Amino acid sequence: MSAQTAGPETLGQLSEEPKGEDPGSSKTRAITGKSPMRIALGRLLRDKIALVCLAVVLFFVVIAIFAGPLQKLFGVTTETAYPSQFLNLDGTPRAEFGPPYGGFTWDHPFGIAPRTATDNLAFWLQGAQNSLQIATTATIVAMLVGVTVGLLGGFLGGVVDRILGFITDFFLTLPFILAALTIAPIINERFRDSDNYATIQVIALIAVLAGFGWMSVARLVRGEVLSLREREFVQAARVMGMPTRRLLLKELLPNLVAPIIVASSLMLPAFVAAEAGLAFLGIGVTTRPSWGQTLNQGIGFFDNYPLYLYQPLIAIVAIVLALNLLGDALRDALDPKTRR
Amino acid sequence: MFAYIVKRLLAGLVVLTLVSLSIFLLFWYGPSEPARAMCDSKTSNRCSPEKLEVFTEELGYNNPWASEFGTYVGGIVTGRDITVAGQTTRCEAPCLGLSYSTGKPVWEDMQSRIPATVSVAVGGAALYLVIGVPIGVAASRRRGSTADKALVSGFLVVSSIPYYLFALLAFLYFAVLYELPVIGQPGYVPLTESPVEWAGGLGLAWLCLGLWGCTAYTRYSRGAMVEALSEDYVRTAKAKGLPQRTVVYKHALRAALVPVVTIFGIDFGTLLAGTIFTEKIFDINGIGLWALNAVGQKDLPIVQATALFAAIALIVSNLVVDLLYSVLDPRVRLS
Repeated sequence: MSAQTAGPETLGQLSEEPKGEDPGSSKTRAITGKSPMRIALGRLLRDKIALVCLAVVLFFVVIAIFAGPLQKLFGVTTETAYPSQFLNLDGTPRAEFGPPYGGFTWDHPFGIAPRTATDNLAFWLQGAQNSLQIATTATIVAMLVGVTVGLLGGFLGGVVDRILGFITDFFLTLPFILAALTIAPIINERFRDSDNYATIQVIALIAVLAGFGWMSVARLVRGEVLSLREREFVQAARVMGMPTRRLLLKELLPNLVAPIIVASSLMLPAFVAAEAGLAFLGIGVTTRPSWGQTLNQGIGFFDNYPLYLYQPLIAIVAIVLALNLLGDALRDALDPKTRR
Repeated sequence: MFAYIVKRLLAGLVVLTLVSLSIFLLFWYGPSEPARAMCDSKTSNRCSPEKLEVFTEELGYNNPWASEFGTYVGGIVTGRDITVAGQTTRCEAPCLGLSYSTGKPVWEDMQSRIPATVSVAVGGAALYLVIGVPIGVAASRRRGSTADKALVSGFLVVSSIPYYLFALLAFLYFAVLYELPVIGQPGYVPLTESPVEWAGGLGLAWLCLGLWGCTAYTRYSRGAMVEALSEDYVRTAKAKGLPQRTVVYKHALRAALVPVVTIFGIDFGTLLAGTIFTEKIFDINGIGLWALNAVGQKDLPIVQATALFAAIALIVSNLVVDLLYSVLDPRVRLS
């Protein structure tokens, strides 16, 4: 945070600091300065729903990072030789390999998949990893694009702003799923025989996700910049002859940290949901495990093997819900105007 | 007013031209061997390089893109003859090319699928308003009460769940597991054939779209109503001694609905452009499901036609919204 804004904002925060019930807080230590970020963190830690959501998110992050070692720990892999030896004639798993007909076994804690006989736990872990990897990368890319466009449009104004605004509006009217649907077969046709097809598919997916996610950030940042650029500290920096690039990065950007954090925490769940949704339709990731694929496979077996479908479903709902609620809590915590 | 309409129509036409050109170019430069899928399907997957070259020539991929774009647009306006593998097929206007997998004009298949998508969109969008707006109005009148707070946070949770999971669960429980009467067998039956079966087959899809989508409308209309109810003219109306009902519905709601109508128009256009998840989950044979299957078969002309259809639906709905807005809110056309 630049010194200019830390002053008034910190004062504003202090005036509505906790009223007694919080032991060991700034009250006992009288007037020690606190950065806005630390105040927000303190507020967040007092929000019980946010803490539960944070725990859920951390759980999935750990799973995603350690998907490989966890698979080794449980002794499961996504590779299956001779699927037919695990399956009944109708494609459902045999009783000795776990649900739906058998009980729990440590060999396959989540059971095995119908038709392919892949271990569900291994697939689920890999799915978590792919899902979070894709969603996180797409969020970062979308943020970079959105912040750049918003900063430039808002600060430079004039023709640049109009052109960028037109592009933003244009992308906003395009329906995301249809664009993904249109691009999927083209990517498939173009790179089908390439050695890196799996990687290219993931990159294309990230590009599509990010390409349809940056607009809201751009608008948000632009709006903030429009109000910030008339403030005294920016004018002071201009008078001092600070170059535009430095002005944008050192003066404006630090003041945009809060909205950017909130926007990205709300974008991440949207991308997790979108990734699984596209895989469910068969136009997302097809070369690597994805929760969406299990959803699609699970429909046909829902009658007697509902557990198979519920594994990815619960995971998606849990992480999307947790991230969304966490995003809302973050917004409340970072907004000096909300009072609790 | 007239000048405004003409200006908007011209702008819409320019955007339409640009979008159709970009879709055409995407399918022109995107695939490395655009004729491959056609060649594969005509030669039962024994497509040699020589044959591929023949198909590439026949489909016009060796010509400059500008002249082919002209042919494509010309075909849409007047229809054209397309020769593939020595067979000439008359493709009536609007000609969107021949399907790679069936060899039939794309428009023939498309025609039969548009009513399904339109039916889904109309029913679902109607429920957005029918469910969403009354709840929003009721919540705004009891602002701050426990019911209002419960509603706001409950709807936040519902709208956080991805739509396709919501619809999928509804389908699995109400159609597969419990097999409810009437709405338990989703699918599309033309309205002209049997209105009862039409409504029954689409009922569950409408309910899902409506219940999930209405959360946003509740939010919009609640916000707009809260604002409208605090306006001076509402206070004046109350002071005049008008009944509460008249004040809320005639004075406040009228003003509050203007922004809701614009959002509704755009949402309706998006639904028309593709209800892919709904169609896939409830097995409704509309444009979305058709395009999805075409992706699986690499039937590029169908995908291209769908993209064009979606673009037209969106552009037209945006145009209608703009024009409607200028009627509802005089400030727009005067500025």
